[in-house]
Amino acid sequence: MESNSSTKDREIIISRTLNAPVELVWEAWTNPEHIANWWGPNGFTNTITKMDLTPGGEWLLVMHGPDGTDYKNKSIFKEIVPHKKIVFEHIAPNFIATIDFEEQGEKTHLNWHMLFETAEEFIRVVKTFKADEGLKQNIEKLSDYLTQLTDKK
Amino acid sequence: MIARRDVYQAIADPTRRAIINMIASQPHNVNTIAEKFDISRQAISLQLKILADCGLVKIKQQGRERFCEAQLDKLSEVSAFVDQYRQHWESKLDALETYLEKLKKEKYGK
Repeated sequence: MESNSSTKDREIIISRTLNAPVELVWEAWTNPEHIANWWGPNGFTNTITKMDLTPGGEWLLVMHGPDGTDYKNKSIFKEIVPHKKIVFEHIAPNFIATIDFEEQGEKTHLNWHMLFETAEEFIRVVKTFKADEGLKQNIEKLSDYLTQLTDKK
Repeated sequence: MIARRDVYQAIADPTRRAIINMIASQPHNVNTIAEKFDISRQAISLQLKILADCGLVKIKQQGRERFCEAQLDKLSEVSAFVDQYRQHWESKLDALETYLEKLKKEKYGK
């Protein structure tokens, strides 16, 4: 998806060429059994309670944090073009994610675009993320510290 | 409640973002800024005060005029966190990449 100046302050675009044919990338993305294995931050596990891959279909996913906290995610699929495109709307925070799959022989180029409703919402999410990152680092520091203490004993 | 005064607060409002854009290239005096916007001078003064409190604008008295100069260093703080957030999504792609290698081995044994 092309970005333009009107969306520049409320979007994230990432892309990657994956060393796998599009059929496999599509399967890893759309099969709940597979997506549960790679979705979510490092150290998290995932439970997918619903993944109705049709326009208007719900996608309900719970991410389980390393500390036992559950994070519920809800999205609605908007557009599904097999082996080509997935569009979903994530609820709270609200953003539209468009994932384009481009077949390149035995490889697949993935273009991942996330567009937030407003710049305010985007800033709020980035800010919350900043807070979360800070919290995570603190927990890591505490955990390192505790390990050191235990080692000394 | 004490209002937060940081760079996020500063750019969370469309009028404040427009003011920063306007004065980014060169300082403007308060009257010139007020004329460009369809809101009262008091409202502009309040927005400028918030921007100044957040450290994004420096207001200098020159004779009878008050000039506003953008302090853009602060904005890099936001782009650093946007980068961090982008990195968070990039790590999903890393995980997908690793998982695909595993799937390929299972499926094709290579």
